[in-house]
Amino acid sequence: MTSEIAIAVDEIRQAFPNCSVNAEEDGQGGCYVTVSGVDIGARYTPHNASFSFHIGFQYPRADVYPHYTDVGIKRVDGGGHGGGVGQVIWREKTVLQLSRRSNRWNPASDTAAIKLAKVVEWFKNL
Amino acid sequence: MKITLPISVTIDEALFTKLQAHLFPGDHDEHGAVIAAGIVQTKRGTRLLAREVFLANDGIDYVLGTRGYRALTAQFVAEKADYCSEEKLCYLAVHCHGGIDAVGFSPDDLASHQRGYPALLDITNGLPVGALVFAKQAVAGEIWTTNGVFPLAKMRVVGRRIFDLYASPKSAPKKADRIYERNTRLFGDIGQEILGGLKVVIIGLGGGGSLLNEWLSRLGVGHIVAIDFDRVDITNLSRIVGATRWDALSLLTGSRWKLLQKIGKRFAARKVHVARRVARVANRSIVYDAVVGDILDESTALMARDADFIFLASDSIRSRLVFNALVQQYLIPGIQVGAKISSDKWTREITDIFTTTRLVLPGSGRGCLDCAGAIPPSRLREEGVAEEEKRAQAYVDDPEISEPSVITLNVLSAGQAATDLMMLFTGLFDDHADLGHIMNFARERKLEYVGQSVNQHCLDCSSTKRSRRGRGDSVRLAVSRQTVC
Repeated sequence: MTSEIAIAVDEIRQAFPNCSVNAEEDGQGGCYVTVSGVDIGARYTPHNASFSFHIGFQYPRADVYPHYTDVGIKRVDGGGHGGGVGQVIWREKTVLQLSRRSNRWNPASDTAAIKLAKVVEWFKNL
Repeated sequence: MKITLPISVTIDEALFTKLQAHLFPGDHDEHGAVIAAGIVQTKRGTRLLAREVFLANDGIDYVLGTRGYRALTAQFVAEKADYCSEEKLCYLAVHCHGGIDAVGFSPDDLASHQRGYPALLDITNGLPVGALVFAKQAVAGEIWTTNGVFPLAKMRVVGRRIFDLYASPKSAPKKADRIYERNTRLFGDIGQEILGGLKVVIIGLGGGGSLLNEWLSRLGVGHIVAIDFDRVDITNLSRIVGATRWDALSLLTGSRWKLLQKIGKRFAARKVHVARRVARVANRSIVYDAVVGDILDESTALMARDADFIFLASDSIRSRLVFNALVQQYLIPGIQVGAKISSDKWTREITDIFTTTRLVLPGSGRGCLDCAGAIPPSRLREEGVAEEEKRAQAYVDDPEISEPSVITLNVLSAGQAATDLMMLFTGLFDDHADLGHIMNFARERKLEYVGQSVNQHCLDCSSTKRSRRGRGDSVRLAVSRQTVC
């Protein structure tokens, strides 16, 4: 993976110290990242989930999205997931896709870790 | 580090102007500076890429010497050498002499190199160090490397005029071939010789690229590298110069049998091979590299590192990213061309017809595509996603519908681009010419210049630490390590 992406993975590990972070190279310089054991709060069961995403080799120039989480996550109030969440097949697995594009992605300051934190926060509050 | 010869320095216009103003303020005295330079090595030679210029203040950093007239202080040298070492840049000490078009080092200068540069080579971890001495219109250099000491062949200045400086005047140009007689009435045999010495990369040999290919060949450009992975299709014949039905294998691709269609598509001519054929008809002495490849692949992108100019005629956001990186990282001027026909998503009514010609010179405020907003991160991401993922994400457009493309529109942007190259290298632009991005709105028959935007933190063109500008081979291009096509 590129040096920028290696730094990105380290930043994710630092931002989510209680979670396990797995990075699998994609063969083009990018990588697939899975962060497991992320606390998604009391609105969901289970309360923890894994989040996966692809960081392309153009990072940090390219935005990091979409993110994917476990299809088995349910809302405790029985309601459906909100807009921007849909079930898809990704890497041969059925997952929930969280489509949050950053319209003002700034390669000089935005990072994959910041983006993941924002996506998790958004999902928690849906 | 093994050095390939010849060695030259490339500097953008802003840094050159800054340096010249410091060295020649009109007092006929000696002044000093240091250039921190990236390095790129190819078969064509070694280029040192001026990334920063540190001016030595007279009396503080540049003082009376004990063994020569003036010298950089030990502290200034140490600071800048350490900086170069940290940033993986080459250290070049600069001073000036009198004179106009010829210059050379004095015996005192050469003796000081002998005393100081072996130690500097250690500090810069083997990256070349050296010295440049300027006259008003000349520069000489001595470059020290771990493989020996070599003279500087030339300095190239890249700006609204692209020109080379030497240690002494070059000999008069040869008389140009008679086929260029009408060219030379504009820019002389010297202009024709300059064009003949150029190596130009054309990325994308579709509509715009094929036009550029023919025109540059006829103009007398000496070496073209054409990059495209695509094959000719029958729908290209209205736009690709020189393409024939035989190239498109139209008898097969037009068959009602799917197998024959498949065979036709598989064995149709490559666009770069058509381009080579066209170029050789236009200029039988041209050197031509027809590269079947994708500029997004590392190995293909690296072929452009030693070009004198790059045209981007392939309109994907990812290719713009690589093109912009090549311009800024390797200080190679370039132009992106394109034509766009927009239509209403639902009614398909044509809303806009415009072409763009975006001149990109190295340096901040010189047309950087990223600063201009032409490389949106979200669109970059969309293109980067694999086709299967795109379908799953429902971001993909209907694959049955291709973008409209018409040769006469391609001519508008490519023609401006080819003329820009000619004007840049022959020094014919007026001093006040606006070199900004041009948009030609065909429906309104209106030409507009797009104002230059500058992002002070741009990762490509700015002078921040993170920028790739002038870093040469020490940073990686934003390309795939694997073949993507």
